[in-house]
Amino acid sequence: MTAHPYLRAYMAGIVVPTMFLLVIFAFFWVMRFVYNVPIPIEHVLVFPMALVPNLWGVWNILYLRMHTGRRLPIGLHGAMLVFVLSPIGYLLVRAQQYLIVPSPLILAIFGGIMVIYYLVWKYAVAFLNDLLGISS
Amino acid sequence: MNERDEQIVRLLRNVIRPMEDAELARDLWPRMLDKMKGTAIRVPWFDWALAGLLVLLLCLFPAAIPGILYHL
Repeated sequence: MTAHPYLRAYMAGIVVPTMFLLVIFAFFWVMRFVYNVPIPIEHVLVFPMALVPNLWGVWNILYLRMHTGRRLPIGLHGAMLVFVLSPIGYLLVRAQQYLIVPSPLILAIFGGIMVIYYLVWKYAVAFLNDLLGISS
Repeated sequence: MNERDEQIVRLLRNVIRPMEDAELARDLWPRMLDKMKGTAIRVPWFDWALAGLLVLLLCLFPAAIPGILYHL
């Protein structure tokens, strides 16, 4: 399996966030329509729905592209994605002035996402890369 | 079966050789078990610690859960 490595890398990258989208949708749907949380979450859902999976795919292409001898471990590479995604997500929320997040909470969110990204990339994305013939 | 069907059957028999010695030369199951053992995921203590830290973080700051889900 040697053809279209970047396409395979993209596909391996988008699997996890795309599958997890159902959980996120269910969570936000319950918050909005069952518990009547007064935040129009649907206005910012474009971020987890479109941006996150696509950037995961592109980030995995980037991982494959950096095919040098001293490549960053895939877990750390995945954790670095937080530095790209988080500012975009935060700006999107702030631009619409729906949510003001207190500072300690921002740190907790940032740290939590980094840990999750590290573990998911290290185990799930690496497994998918291996499955699709992309060396991890 | 008409003449055409019989012709197809005859052609297929000519093309596909009958199976000879269908038994496996060796038992493949031990090799499969070896492969499964070789590919078992080993989670280092550091990753367990990180997972524990994440659980602790979510318990201390439950309000962060929507923000974390938003990024997944």
